[in-house]
Amino acid sequence: MPEAALAADQVNITYGAGPAAVPALRNVSLSFAPGRLVLVMGPSGSGKTTLLSVLGCMLLPDQGDVLVRGQSVRGLSETGRVDLRRTSIGYVFQAFRLFRSLSALDNLLVSLDVSGQRGPEARARAEQGLAAVGLSDKWRLKPGELSGGEKQRVAIARALINDPPIVLADEPTASLDWRSGEGIAAMLLKIAQEDGKLVVVVTHDPRMTPFGQRIVTMQDGRVVEDAERN
Amino acid sequence: MWLAWRNLNHDRFRFLVTIVGIAFAVFLMIFQGSLLVGFLRASSKTIDMTESDLWIAGRGVESCEFAGPMPERFYDIAAGVKGVAGVYRMTVGFTFFQKPSGMQQSVLLIGAEPGIGREFPIPYADAERTTVAPEAILVDRSNAKALELDRVPLGIEVGLKRAQVVEIIDGFGSFFGTPIVFGGYTDSLRYLRWPGEGVVFLGVRLQPGHDPQEVKAAMQARLPEVDVWTRDEFSLRSRIFWIRKTGAGAAIFMVAVLGFLVGLVIVSQNIYATTMENLEEFATLKAIGARKWYIQKVVLTQALACGIVGSLLGFLALLPLMDPVKETISWIYMPWWLPMGMIGVGLFMCVLASVASIKKALAVEPARVFRA
Repeated sequence: MPEAALAADQVNITYGAGPAAVPALRNVSLSFAPGRLVLVMGPSGSGKTTLLSVLGCMLLPDQGDVLVRGQSVRGLSETGRVDLRRTSIGYVFQAFRLFRSLSALDNLLVSLDVSGQRGPEARARAEQGLAAVGLSDKWRLKPGELSGGEKQRVAIARALINDPPIVLADEPTASLDWRSGEGIAAMLLKIAQEDGKLVVVVTHDPRMTPFGQRIVTMQDGRVVEDAERN
Repeated sequence: MWLAWRNLNHDRFRFLVTIVGIAFAVFLMIFQGSLLVGFLRASSKTIDMTESDLWIAGRGVESCEFAGPMPERFYDIAAGVKGVAGVYRMTVGFTFFQKPSGMQQSVLLIGAEPGIGREFPIPYADAERTTVAPEAILVDRSNAKALELDRVPLGIEVGLKRAQVVEIIDGFGSFFGTPIVFGGYTDSLRYLRWPGEGVVFLGVRLQPGHDPQEVKAAMQARLPEVDVWTRDEFSLRSRIFWIRKTGAGAAIFMVAVLGFLVGLVIVSQNIYATTMENLEEFATLKAIGARKWYIQKVVLTQALACGIVGSLLGFLALLPLMDPVKETISWIYMPWWLPMGMIGVGLFMCVLASVASIKKALAVEPARVFRA
């Protein structure tokens, strides 16, 4: 059995304190193998996004630990977690989170710039990244000039530009029309199957279900179902 | 740091407002700085333009403009001190200048003996600058209009005695309102009508190789009734007098500080507003693994880019105004280092203004990117 790309071990997170305390995650333990598209589903307030924040090393669990390719996150400094995010994880957000002053190409270049990659090689790589999501001809357009589906494809290209082994996506199809949503779902599956990356998608969207190879269902901060599909 | 440039370029109106604010602040700081430097320079110019190594002045005299006479015998005593090559008399005082129209105008008259300094304004009769023209007066161009001088030579009266303005000079404009006119020492004594002896200052030139401080100490021992200063000491004393005692320096300085503060507030507000507007983008940067210094660099580059463009704009806007301003404020002076320094202050202002923005950008939670 391959080493887990990402794992949560007895993770607990509570928001607030005292009588107002709200447990967001309760003893969540999950292990994710590479090369799989995992869907995390559940009603609003079930803790999906909190789980994604913890798996993405943006939130530290109150208790428990997260392991990124065997590396414990708990013992890392903030800088260490930042470095881990940069080198190991790509993110796709519901609201795209593209830099509105930058063209599609420049949005990819920022990610490379953050990793210290600049110059003609970085540009060539960004162009390849856009080509991989079918947007070669729209490289100079800014987010405001792109459709929702195109924005999300730029966001996926950005998430992949540094070749991270893990991709975390938060409701990537929620803002998209039916056809664009299916296209994005297929693209994420392809990334898992063909590139061997772990893709974890938090979603409400039933369109995503046929593409999920494993579906984790959450409720009230707990994993209530964890089903392998194929 | 192209991300910073793109951010600025994206919101051009805000960028424009920011650079106009900085330009205004730098304009004001350079202008006020030029007033201050010019004021300081003018307030000691009559001292600085002499070639006297030492100055002998009445006890407690703080500037060249306000002084009383001393006994004439001090001239001989000073000349007898070891190391002295020459002593030159100067008289200074307020008197009346009768304009061609018959109107009277109070003026400060400064009369000195040849030898006090080749660049010092004295109405010489010869090109060798050894003989003083009789009853001759020099007036600065900035005072010519006030004294109704439409041509030279022009007969007038000074201290109710006949005189003639023989030349209009440059660079000796009055910085305190009352025009300054220059004459020969002997004529000036008559025009000022000092009771008794009229020597107000003695300029002392030393023989080569003598230490001014040593001769000063010897001179002071021989003349305990007066003050003896090196030229630099007396020059500084005069500047301090005009800056501190008149309040003019403080007023000019305060306007410069005000310019700095106005600029600081404008830049701070705009950079902070830009940062707040881009807060989600900073959160995204953090989420995708940007280190602190990267985010600091983005905000700082934005601030410094505004600072460089705004400061240069402020400086360039001032340049064409300097000559027209000189017609009114003849003593205003902008040395080369002043705009450099004030542009530096402008950039510092921008760095200072970006501190709160950097803090805000660094404090943003990366996890907020998951909120739709």
